Amino acid sequence: MMQRWIFPIVVGGLLCAGAYQATLIATPFALMRIAINRLSTSGAVNEFSHGKMATAANQPIVRPSPDLAYSNCVFDVSKGPVLIDIAPVPNHYWSVSIFDARTDVAAVRSDRDTGGKPARLALFGEGQTAPAGYEAVPLKHDRGIALIRILLANPKEFAGVDAIRRQSSCKAG
Amino acid sequence: MIGIIAGSSYAISQVRGGFADGTIRNGPWTSGKSFGSADASALTRAKVALSGLLALPAKEAMYFTASVDSEGRPLEGRCRYALKGGALETRWWSLTLYDPKGYLVANTRNLYSAGSASILMNESMPPTWVVFVGPDNSVDTTNFIPTGGSKNFDLTLRTYHPAGALFATPGKVALPSITRESCV
Repeated sequence: MMQRWIFPIVVGGLLCAGAYQATLIATPFALMRIAINRLSTSGAVNEFSHGKMATAANQPIVRPSPDLAYSNCVFDVSKGPVLIDIAPVPNHYWSVSIFDARTDVAAVRSDRDTGGKPARLALFGEGQTAPAGYEAVPLKHDRGIALIRILLANPKEFAGVDAIRRQSSCKAG
Repeated sequence: MIGIIAGSSYAISQVRGGFADGTIRNGPWTSGKSFGSADASALTRAKVALSGLLALPAKEAMYFTASVDSEGRPLEGRCRYALKGGALETRWWSLTLYDPKGYLVANTRNLYSAGSASILMNESMPPTWVVFVGPDNSVDTTNFIPTGGSKNFDLTLRTYHPAGALFATPGKVALPSITRESCV
């Protein structure tokens, strides 16, 4: 009698374990896809979008910092490298981080890393190469998000910081 | 079919539950050191994607979250709390209040955070600070974060460019205490 149930129990257990792992693996990809769709509402790819400061009425992503000015670029390297040029904001913490479709960080560069100089990153996929003059950032997935963070000690700094960050670029190489 | 549903349901419940995988605990605060890292486990990556998408790796920033006070009681919007701390080994830090889903809470003062770039420090040696968290109509005018209309909330302590013991042993350094002073 018991033997009749061993096979379905084992198969059910294996399916359960497989579904558990598959759900965990799929979750970051699914949430990143939602984030990409939210951030690229205009459909623009490979160009920076400069957001307002986060408030209760302006929260494009979960757990935004109200102290940071965010700029984001939804990138796609499927047709070739994408070049990121970051204009430094003097006397402010700033960083640019590259997140792939699995939510892993492919690169982070801040004013501490560059000594206050511009950051120049080339994002590229399999079979592509980074052009000279750029730091190479190889990617395992074609799509992702490049995110600039700039710390504002005072909201009154926003206009000046906004003018500088708009000199940064994200473009097909 | 039952096995697939059970496995997926269990995974979703774990992702939605509190941090249980590689979690660092320090008083009321919890954190992790593998956020945004390729080394993160599938469970950690899924949890961070849900509650803190686009989080930075620990070398750049460490995030500590508290949903309870120093006595383990859930943080409530109707109560006033005093967060007391000292210097943190980090380039800058900030405290931000979120609702349980991770969103900023609307309040009459349009204030959402307080941190090293803006708060007033006590003139003691070593320097210390107090940040109050409470209902919008609290008497506080500085070093204050309003709870808005939130029933419950949580606090995120961001530390950018953490160094020294904060980075090496985040579970053992002195982090801000959270004391409930009164409730209405």
